[in-house]
Amino acid sequence: MQRTPEIFEKIEQYLTNRLSPEDLIAFKKEIHTNPQLQEEIEKHRVLHKILEDQDTLIFKEKLAQISSTIKQQDTTSQKKSTFFSFWKIAASIAILIGIGISLWYTSNTINQTQGLYKAYYVPFPSEDTIRGEITEEQGILKNYTKGAYEAVITTLEKHPNLMNQQRLRLYLGNSYLNTNQEEKAIKQFIAIRNKDRYYEIAQWYLSLTYLKMNDSKKTKTLLKNIINYDGVYKDKASQLLKALVE
Amino acid sequence: MPYIKPYILQNFGNDEDAEDVFQDALIFIYQKLNTDSLKLHSSLRFYFYGVCKNIWRNRLRKNKKMVITEDTHDNAIISDPVVIKDIEEKEREYVYRKYFLKLNSSCRKVLNLLFLGNSMKEIAHITGYSEGYTRKKKIECKRHLMEMIENDSIYQELKRITDKE
Repeated sequence: MQRTPEIFEKIEQYLTNRLSPEDLIAFKKEIHTNPQLQEEIEKHRVLHKILEDQDTLIFKEKLAQISSTIKQQDTTSQKKSTFFSFWKIAASIAILIGIGISLWYTSNTINQTQGLYKAYYVPFPSEDTIRGEITEEQGILKNYTKGAYEAVITTLEKHPNLMNQQRLRLYLGNSYLNTNQEEKAIKQFIAIRNKDRYYEIAQWYLSLTYLKMNDSKKTKTLLKNIINYDGVYKDKASQLLKALVE
Repeated sequence: MPYIKPYILQNFGNDEDAEDVFQDALIFIYQKLNTDSLKLHSSLRFYFYGVCKNIWRNRLRKNKKMVITEDTHDNAIISDPVVIKDIEEKEREYVYRKYFLKLNSSCRKVLNLLFLGNSMKEIAHITGYSEGYTRKKKIECKRHLMEMIENDSIYQELKRITDKE
């Protein structure tokens, strides 16, 4: 059946009950005598029914994003083993689904704190921030995205606007975290004050920094603060806190 | 992934197949969790592997390449008929979502708004396009999506089975 704009419109109006009473009678008559039209309507109906489930669609999109992020990280870091990647995939997904890590993965052989850090740590994302930036910042973000953290640090340590741009602090903090300079990372995250829009994000990365340093006490205190803050990291913080307590 | 990937590679699949199966199995579990219908008799990881294997076996069967040696000792194969039926029924959904995500972002945005029940006028208002352009865009995107779906071998096989019934 030829897919003309007119047919599309009619079918959609029919499926969403938007046809006038007269048009509806005429269209029903046409459906009755035209098996190809019946088949076409069914195709549209199934398409709408499956794809109106936005929740599952968003989940599928997130999975694709996780997959591409991990692939990207694996190509930029030669140190990671397949097992490490799998642990990270499994844990990321467990978080996404909203289940406890222990339900998914029961291995006791991995140091719990480090395992949790690897599971929960995802670099502060840089996408959607490149547009409209000056060239130097584009270079910073490009390096950051491909995991060239040393280059990011070199540039940002002498960046004149660092004090005023909290987002850049997050990139720098994350770069320190990825080059095993945790104390320096802490300084960057602490510098983001609670009136700043990036405060909650900074607190989250600060908690992960302490987690990486095996300081469970400080991690737990920060996670409780994040939970009380009641923002977008509340669920993740609750899950991580629960996993730490277990 | 290290467990399921070799299984798929050894059984006529490639890296992309392994990734598709991995993601579709997670969606299956996600939907089960959302509807509170997940019944676990083992660890979730073990259940997950079982779902992966069943999905891949179904796909091979539909592509008429099914020559996997039946291993009666393979505990990871799900034998619960209800779960098996569930997995088969979801197969059509996986195809639709897979191709929807292959569309460009502007197409996805327009179609998402359409599937949520918005009129052309509302979609035009949200996207900032003119109503005429929105209508044109919607038709182009939907037509392209339907063509991609119809060209998929799994879709064709599912359609053949449905037509037969």
